[in-house]
Amino acid sequence: MRNRCSRKWVAAAFCAVTMTTMANGAATAADEDKYPTNWKGQWIRVVHRDVEVQGAFDQTKPWGLGQQAPLTPEYQKVHSDSMADQKNGGLGNYPTARCLPSGMPRMMTFSNQEYVITPETTYLLLTSSDHLRRIFTDGRDWPKNPKPTYGGYSIGKWIDEDGDGRYDLLEVETRYFKGPRAFDASGLPLAFDNQSIFKERIYIDKANPNILHDVTTVIDNALTRPWTSDRQYRRLSQKPEQWPENYCQEGNANVVIGKENYFLRVDGLLMPAKKNQTPPDLKYFTQGQK
Amino acid sequence: MSYRTLFLAVAVAVVLIGTARAADEPKHPNWKGQWNAVVTPGLVGQQFKFDPTKDRGLGQQAPLTEEYKKVHADSMADQAQGGLGNYPTARCLPGGMPRMMASEAQEYIVTPETTYILLSSANDALRRIFTDGRDWPKDIEPTYQGYSIGRWSDTDGDGTYDLLEVETRGFKGPRAYDATGLPLAFDNQSVFKERFHLDKADPNILHVEITVIDHALTRPWTVDKTFRHNRNARPNWRENVCNEGNANIVIGNENYLLRADGVLMPAKKGQKPPDLRYFEQGPK
Repeated sequence: MRNRCSRKWVAAAFCAVTMTTMANGAATAADEDKYPTNWKGQWIRVVHRDVEVQGAFDQTKPWGLGQQAPLTPEYQKVHSDSMADQKNGGLGNYPTARCLPSGMPRMMTFSNQEYVITPETTYLLLTSSDHLRRIFTDGRDWPKNPKPTYGGYSIGKWIDEDGDGRYDLLEVETRYFKGPRAFDASGLPLAFDNQSIFKERIYIDKANPNILHDVTTVIDNALTRPWTSDRQYRRLSQKPEQWPENYCQEGNANVVIGKENYFLRVDGLLMPAKKNQTPPDLKYFTQGQK
Repeated sequence: MSYRTLFLAVAVAVVLIGTARAADEPKHPNWKGQWNAVVTPGLVGQQFKFDPTKDRGLGQQAPLTEEYKKVHADSMADQAQGGLGNYPTARCLPGGMPRMMASEAQEYIVTPETTYILLSSANDALRRIFTDGRDWPKDIEPTYQGYSIGRWSDTDGDGTYDLLEVETRGFKGPRAYDATGLPLAFDNQSVFKERFHLDKADPNILHVEITVIDHALTRPWTVDKTFRHNRNARPNWRENVCNEGNANIVIGNENYLLRADGVLMPAKKGQKPPDLRYFEQGPK
């Protein structure tokens, strides 16, 4: 009787361990299965060639004034001054031309993007001077004293919108920026106080799994109201063979000396970027010109 | 067979199947978090050199060919005069391999298909190491970081991969090992072989053993770079931007310096100013 009882306990314990192991395994697998697996591959911005090719915030409208950005009068002037300067050969309010990072939101217009999704962080890998974004999805709160960056600090939350047991929507909020930053190459400005807040809803198109939406709303003191755009990306390849490497500094002909921009000719000589532009001040050179 | 016996048999079978599956397919390791370069105090060059256990520059004792010893000597001589020498990173060009692996903070994202290395360097932010069994592409587009193919091994047979072996080819340049301009061959035919693994005695130490085979060298050159795991589970990730505050202005083959007041100044003693023949007006 005693022996039989012992065997029962051993069997029960064995069963309990087995069931626990199976349950744990199932829970882990279920957790991992919640994250989307259909975001893999190489994504590029959808270009509406009839309206814009320069990487505007709203892809469906021409860049610059054509964006019809809801700018305050103060920042309308910043924009018109930028375009006037560019017309004369200057860089205007477009820091990317000096190979500074574009930051948000311009960084999201560059091509060849990849999403790497882990439970704690979604990484958005970019092929530009704006190398990557980390979107923290580990439930953290905003840090107390974050160091401002061009890309900002992003906190995200995964949502299973259609209730099929798998996340399909990533909601992201991004804050804590530094600048200067511009929406596009015309110098369409963000506020110089860098207090922008971005809210994004990132998801795969229901009808076309090779289209990814990043519906972005900008709240910024250069704007009279929040500005929203449904930015779309097309999957080039599920398993790309190569990823391009883009470096602004390679072959950038803009040479900024003080507040003036000059051009570097192919022969390595400096030339004016603007008509009748004064050359750089050479007062610290003791020898005459070459 | 009683119900109880049947139940036990099923349970045993489940466990055995699970064990067999684990043995067939080792798990990928968890190398998450921030890894910081281990710096030997007192050596010149901090982490920004190839062999972390030696001073940068000549102290590296790189097995350079005679031709490339001269390139290095010329580079250092130019730098002593105020030039940039053979160090393209000073112009905010990417360091590429192997300079990029000297970045102070790294993050490893391991997926079955790709291991991603995110770096804190200004222009070298990312490496993709393909572990999906692919072969070399027929026409590799040359890059500063090269094209990396890796293979995971479970060397101790415990069911978890513990060694990542990587080969990297397909480079462009110019590239240098360190700020003295210690050169890689200008033909960019370098091949790198790397072994990534955790230290057996201290799992908070990651080893990156790098062997470079390069026409600037008389023999393969191997170093062991080590990185320590940051205990902070939510570390700060710095944004490094080379072009912010870089005072080097390269015009033609000459490097000049930009003063804080925005006026150009010579980088070298007695340096001639830039040729301004294309300006209609005279200098300010």
